[in-house]
Amino acid sequence: MSGVVVLLILCSTLATAGGFQLNEHGARAMGMGGAFAARASDLSAIYFNPAGLAFQKGRQVYVGVTLIAPSSTFYGPDQLNTNQETKMKSQVFNPINVYGSYRITDDLIVGFGVNNPYGLGTEWPADWSGRFISTKVNLETFFFSPTVAYKVSDRFSLGVGMNYVTGKVTLKRVLSDPFDPHANVTVEATGSSIGWNAGALYKATDNLSIGASYRSEAKIDAEGTATFEPNRSVYPAGDISSSLTLPATAFVGVAYSPFKNLTLEVNYQYVGWSSYKELALTFKKDNSVSVSPKNYENTYIIRVGGEYDLGDWQLRAGYIYDRSPAPTQYVEPLLPDANKNEVSAGVGYRISKNVTLDLAYMFIKFDQRKAVGTEINFDGTYNSTANLFALNFGYSF
Amino acid sequence: MKLMMKSLIVLTGLAALSLSGCSDSAPSGPVSSLGPVTIKKYVAVGNSLTAGYQSAGLYQSAQIYSYPNLIAQQLAKAGASLGTFEQPLYSDPGTPDATGKASRYEIISLAGPVIGPKGLTAGQPINSGLARPFDNLGIPGIPLAGFMDTTGTYQSAPLGRDAILRWTSGPFPKSVYRQAVALNPDLLTFWLGANDVLGYATSGGVSPAAPTPAAVFTTLYTQALSSIKTSLPNAKVIVGNIPDVKAIPFFRTVGPAVAAKIGPLGVKLYYQKAGESGMATGQSSLTEANAPLLTLTGMTYAAYIGQPSGLWYKANKYPALPAGIDTTKPFGLHPQNPWPNALVLDADEQVICANAISAFNSTIASVANANGAAVVDFYSFFNTVSQKGLTLAGEAFTTTYVTGGLFSLDGVHPSSRGSGVVANEYIKVINAKYSTSIPLVDISQIPGIPAPLGKISELSGLPVLPADAFRDYQRMFGTTDLK
Repeated sequence: MSGVVVLLILCSTLATAGGFQLNEHGARAMGMGGAFAARASDLSAIYFNPAGLAFQKGRQVYVGVTLIAPSSTFYGPDQLNTNQETKMKSQVFNPINVYGSYRITDDLIVGFGVNNPYGLGTEWPADWSGRFISTKVNLETFFFSPTVAYKVSDRFSLGVGMNYVTGKVTLKRVLSDPFDPHANVTVEATGSSIGWNAGALYKATDNLSIGASYRSEAKIDAEGTATFEPNRSVYPAGDISSSLTLPATAFVGVAYSPFKNLTLEVNYQYVGWSSYKELALTFKKDNSVSVSPKNYENTYIIRVGGEYDLGDWQLRAGYIYDRSPAPTQYVEPLLPDANKNEVSAGVGYRISKNVTLDLAYMFIKFDQRKAVGTEINFDGTYNSTANLFALNFGYSF
Repeated sequence: MKLMMKSLIVLTGLAALSLSGCSDSAPSGPVSSLGPVTIKKYVAVGNSLTAGYQSAGLYQSAQIYSYPNLIAQQLAKAGASLGTFEQPLYSDPGTPDATGKASRYEIISLAGPVIGPKGLTAGQPINSGLARPFDNLGIPGIPLAGFMDTTGTYQSAPLGRDAILRWTSGPFPKSVYRQAVALNPDLLTFWLGANDVLGYATSGGVSPAAPTPAAVFTTLYTQALSSIKTSLPNAKVIVGNIPDVKAIPFFRTVGPAVAAKIGPLGVKLYYQKAGESGMATGQSSLTEANAPLLTLTGMTYAAYIGQPSGLWYKANKYPALPAGIDTTKPFGLHPQNPWPNALVLDADEQVICANAISAFNSTIASVANANGAAVVDFYSFFNTVSQKGLTLAGEAFTTTYVTGGLFSLDGVHPSSRGSGVVANEYIKVINAKYSTSIPLVDISQIPGIPAPLGKISELSGLPVLPADAFRDYQRMFGTTDLK
């Protein structure tokens, strides 16, 4: 388990779903485009649909990591009548997932999960034209999720979980003030919150199942510090506070086996991004407030995936259409969001009676995003892609 | 197992190919180019705004951010081969005041803050040996009449002028016009006329006692542009019109601060109206519509409001107090010790300024049109910025003194970043008129106003300026005496 601790410490994440949401919390689900809520048949059910736990073996662990390598290029700004190219700095993020379960009675099972459902990280060159907007941003969240599932009948189960959420955000940019030399401002804040989630799973027939789950929003009230380099007395260095509401999300899915060994699933995922209206920082030294409007909109993700079971081996593939919550005039270098088409492939292998291995790969193609009429007067075009690799081990006792 | 691995590889490869094959290429954005035109020589004609004069001085570290120099750099990025754009550089800390010390204001301390000349030894002209006229012919203090002048009036020493026009005879004598023509530019920017009203306005309507008459302005402007057209028939000419004096921080800083001081006391400011030198008849809370505008030069005196102060009369070396004045009365709050005429642009004077600017700008529009020149509408631009601010690449700019970022410490001239904004307004007009695609200046790469670091107290209230700080600066507008 020491490996897990190391992973927890090193973890950092980047948005791969719209906004700064992450939906890659298990290599098996990722291989199938995350279309998993109607089956939820491994411990990542704790994320996708807690009701799925009820139909699983009693004592298991499922542990994994996802490597995310995004790439983004900005062309512009249009305001300068230029098509100049600026590449985002390369980074690799590694969100983790750790799950365990324990059966209490035939019908009652408890589980515990740790993962990173929200995160983002972008870094731009220190001297670029957008340096007054952002040079670096990093958001990490951890969800600690004790979960319980109950098998109501052989075909119907319910699950519910609590989420203890911690978040840490770092924002860095050049300060917009009239003086020279310009100061770099770094804001770091941490906070926590409580949320909940619940799900239901209904196996209508032997080859048709239906699942739905909901995860509440979680408002993190964060405290931290602002550092100015170089500092001047006129700057509000010191304590700051902020709050960030992680949006609610819901899955509805249908899984169907047209013939033996093949299962297909479709999910509709709702994400309540309208909770992300602004990012406001309050500087306690002078009670000044810096407000950056975001005005995100509620959105959805369509997931289609399948798995072909060859006994010890399973082959998986999936496709995702992920609609961006960011309105055109709020697209910015902190998070150059766009509608996305994503494809995934994966393989599962039963190493021994008790041990499974899942591998997955995903490629994310962002639609070319033109930011026009932006609030911050920084229009241009963003081209982005991301490559994801995931690895999970499962062990059943 | 091998088969399985192969399957995985093939599957993954197919999935990736299906999308990576349609990875985006660079969007088809603007390509920097001069398009159909050729520009081999650019010359800028103007006044202190063109010279790169900032914070009451002409000095190299500001001149390199003069808008003509910035435009020249952008022209080069679009493919123009201009060679070196030559400017009459003056080494830091810049041009001397009447005592030989550098006149440039600096932020001496953010505590207060204290702004003013540091008493440094003035700099020197760097390249006055250039054997041809300068490409930047911005001459501090020059009115429109100075353009065709051949008497050498604007070659005299103050404000670094002697390092600009230089020759009194020979192939490039005296006049701005002759030197500009001698350079044979194919692009010429012409921004004159502001000093025809600014001297009147900044001296509170005292010295000079009136703006240039509108009819004279029209005659001079017509003469200037038609002469250029005759001498340089192929030159592309871009002219700038005259910003509203009320939009600049020089008139927007002291009034609101004084209003905040006297408002809670429930008292009004007594001020001398146009022509008054003794007892004052003007009275204002400084918050009403058309309230009198207090000049930045009044900053020092604002600190004495309510006190029995005669500082104004002492600083301006009055031989005796004017009739009716009693400096034992509270300054600014009593008709017998009023806010002085030279430090206020009252409602009538504001109308005189507005009428002059309106007449000048309508002349500029019609004469430019008649001569095929494009106009940069700085009047509208700065009024909009004054009302709404300006956001560029996430940075918020305003016309607020010091902290707004667009104006230098004298409250009249743009900062280096403000010059970038001015350059961009020119470039937009050039691009629109001549179908060029010149990239705009990246303001994010231009330095701000140098300010001290370290542990100092808050930036709050009105900056402190020495009473004499504006002396040299007023010479620019021909202001001789504020009595």
